[in-house]
Amino acid sequence: MKLLLMIARNVRRNLLRSTLTALVTMVLVFVVTLVWSILRVLDYVTTEKAANFRAMVTERWSIPSRMLVSYAETLSHGAARNPDDIEPLDSMTWQFYVGTVDPGKLTRESILFCIAVEPAKVLTMMEGLDSLPPEEEVLLRRFVDEVERNPQGVILGRNHLRNLNKKIGERIKLYGLGDFKGLDLELEIVGAFPAGRYDTLAVFHRDYYNNTFDAYARGHNGRQHRLGGRSLSIVWLKVADMESFRRIAWQIETSPYYTAPAVKCETAASGFTSFLEGFRDLVWGMRWLLAPACMFTVLLVIANAINISVRERRLELAVLKVLGFRPSHIFFLVVGESLLLGAGSGFASAAGSYLLINWGMGGISFPLAFFDRFMIPVEALWWGPAVGGLAALLGSFLPAWSAQKVKVAEVFAKVA
Amino acid sequence: MIDAVLRTVREAGQALGVWTLLGIFLVAIAGLLLIGRVPLRYNFRNLSIRWRTTLLTSLAFTLVIALLTVMLAFVNGMQRMTESTGHPANVLVLADGSTDEAFSTLSPGDVLEIENLQGIGVPPIVEEHGRRLASRETYMIVNQPVPDAPRGRPRRRFVQLRGCDDPWLTGRVHDIGLMAGDWFSYAGVREMPQAADETAIEAVLGLGAALELGRDRSPEEIRSARNPQRLDIGDTFQLAERTWVVTGILDSETSTFNSEIWAKRSLVGQIFGKNTYTTLVIRLASAADAMRFKTYLLEEYRGTAVAPQLETDYYENLSETSKQFLYAIGFIAVVMSVGGIFGVMNTMFAAISQRVKDVGVLRLLGYARWQILVSFLLESLAIALVGGLLGCALGSLCDGWTVTSVVSGGPGGGKSVVLRLIVDADIWATGLLLTLVMGLAGGLLPSINAMRLRALEALR
Repeated sequence: MKLLLMIARNVRRNLLRSTLTALVTMVLVFVVTLVWSILRVLDYVTTEKAANFRAMVTERWSIPSRMLVSYAETLSHGAARNPDDIEPLDSMTWQFYVGTVDPGKLTRESILFCIAVEPAKVLTMMEGLDSLPPEEEVLLRRFVDEVERNPQGVILGRNHLRNLNKKIGERIKLYGLGDFKGLDLELEIVGAFPAGRYDTLAVFHRDYYNNTFDAYARGHNGRQHRLGGRSLSIVWLKVADMESFRRIAWQIETSPYYTAPAVKCETAASGFTSFLEGFRDLVWGMRWLLAPACMFTVLLVIANAINISVRERRLELAVLKVLGFRPSHIFFLVVGESLLLGAGSGFASAAGSYLLINWGMGGISFPLAFFDRFMIPVEALWWGPAVGGLAALLGSFLPAWSAQKVKVAEVFAKVA
Repeated sequence: MIDAVLRTVREAGQALGVWTLLGIFLVAIAGLLLIGRVPLRYNFRNLSIRWRTTLLTSLAFTLVIALLTVMLAFVNGMQRMTESTGHPANVLVLADGSTDEAFSTLSPGDVLEIENLQGIGVPPIVEEHGRRLASRETYMIVNQPVPDAPRGRPRRRFVQLRGCDDPWLTGRVHDIGLMAGDWFSYAGVREMPQAADETAIEAVLGLGAALELGRDRSPEEIRSARNPQRLDIGDTFQLAERTWVVTGILDSETSTFNSEIWAKRSLVGQIFGKNTYTTLVIRLASAADAMRFKTYLLEEYRGTAVAPQLETDYYENLSETSKQFLYAIGFIAVVMSVGGIFGVMNTMFAAISQRVKDVGVLRLLGYARWQILVSFLLESLAIALVGGLLGCALGSLCDGWTVTSVVSGGPGGGKSVVLRLIVDADIWATGLLLTLVMGLAGGLLPSINAMRLRALEALR
């Protein structure tokens, strides 16, 4: 206990040095926290789950996936056609649409990437939205019910609301872009997604979208839109376990119904991994260059500070030895000071980042593949002290070793 | 607020130029060296006596600057690639409203009409050997299973495929030749008795694509291969359950075509269900003609609405991704620099607290307060400069490394590219400038502190 008090007092003794060391640690732990938060999300979506995970059915060869809309019904049942075939626990279809609110001026802010879905499935099948806090779930359920009631309703991500300068209750008109040219949508904003993962998404009723194709044909003398009946992008299936997934995937890929175009069934993790493959070197650099370099810099700074501190206190350390403190006590004294500084400032940095980034800024804005924003997870509250503490431990080892080997006679001879 | 600060710093930096700023700094340091009368020997001796502290502080600078150098080399490579792709006299025509080739659909009739445009007000399309330099292309991204993918690696990859009617013409329009082999034949297929389907689709590969697909070979195949690093002429690969044979390798290392596979459009269109064109690229006589042709298509052309743009503009827009990375790098550099500043401040405060008597003696010897300030500031800059130079040198080791990334102009779309990290003089200048700024900012407060010491109090 006395040792702990001494540690705390020693840290306070040179407040300037302790503060500067703590500030450096906080700044660099902040960078590590940001990097690990991004990597955590990427690792989560690319790790195969053991149970209750999602599989995705897409076109076998081409990107973007354009399956026949007529595939939707049978695929949603896992292409089960024999008595002993199994069906997924749940399913959801996605039909992509890209449009702009201003066809005369195409900017990142004016372009919306939308998905036409069955509204009820938003709460059960979309990652992260099936496990919201109660108050957010109630609110989202209200929005979903509104889309069910009003097929022209759209739920927007918060980025879109901000970029379009719109509020819930207002209307927008979207003009189709690229392959969606000619498909214009008139939508009413009925809700907003919770902040985070879906900030750049927009979701509306698939019935309205499919009716738009019919309206196009009626307006063009019966001529189908070039997308024709091929507007089905993804069919999501919720499966119980890997065995069920393999069975359903076999049912789908061996079915004679899905030949033109052919389809494939893979786990969501496998699909995301393919999409993120283009960024693999960037992710590698973040994981093995940036984060370790920051941690090593913290180590150097703490080592430097403790080294200076030990050098300045050689007389004091000699006096402690005379008073009966053993070398191991002195070792732990020095390491303890370093740990208090490192772990303490690491925790302060992580906690500060958690509050500032999540609540103040709505997440880390770093567009990567289909992720626009990353939140700092609650685990960061132990990352901070762990990184700061480990760097402090390693950085203070040599100075502490040197401190415990102080020779009393030499020190007092110099003083004399 | 952070965006605003970064934007201001960037605009100021761009206005002045990094070399100008570095030059100003170096001239200022040279000036300080000239006017500061405290012997440099005193400063260097102190740095060498406290070598552990000097080394640890310098190493921190080394890490920060080395990281910055690598990150900037990545962005540099990406920018050079997108800037060097495209010919200034080419007009790239996409379907109206399309921002990316992958989402464009042009009918054969539309394409035929545009490439045969002529008349008053229409700049002439360049002709060679009696043929107009107009390349009709179908760009698509295709899913390819990766055989025996190692654990942790994806089981599928996205392959960029460009269907061309005439590969020589496409290469001519894009100013890309072959570094090995030949263009694929008019038929686009050849007999391959050893292939399961007995014919193979002929393809020309970008070097990056050849490297990537070469990794799919088994160890035995690699050992017996003509080129263990990549696929070579005559090598085969599987795509969409068909055998493909390499007839040539594109000389495209500095462009986004490096990661593409080119094959006969009529074949690949049928296989992958994309029987229309996505892109029409037209060569005009000059950049001015290209601009006039683009304007004509936008304002006067009465056929199907299209989205023409200069090819260089199209690929430059793909550098939107590199801009985002640049902002991220700038943010990380600023944050880590703050760390470095506090680190050197710590060192200098400690150094000064141990040399209070030295300061007192210097004052008694007649050195002015500002000379004390300059003396300690130069020490701080020396630590920063040594660390920064080492950092630039360490970071420069990444020059020439190849990495994969994605370039994209906006939501949806994007091209996977293989690019080289490029460390050039500008990056060295940026690294040195940052290290000097860190050294100055970190050493200023402690030096002011030293400057304010009273001689007699210091010696008491």
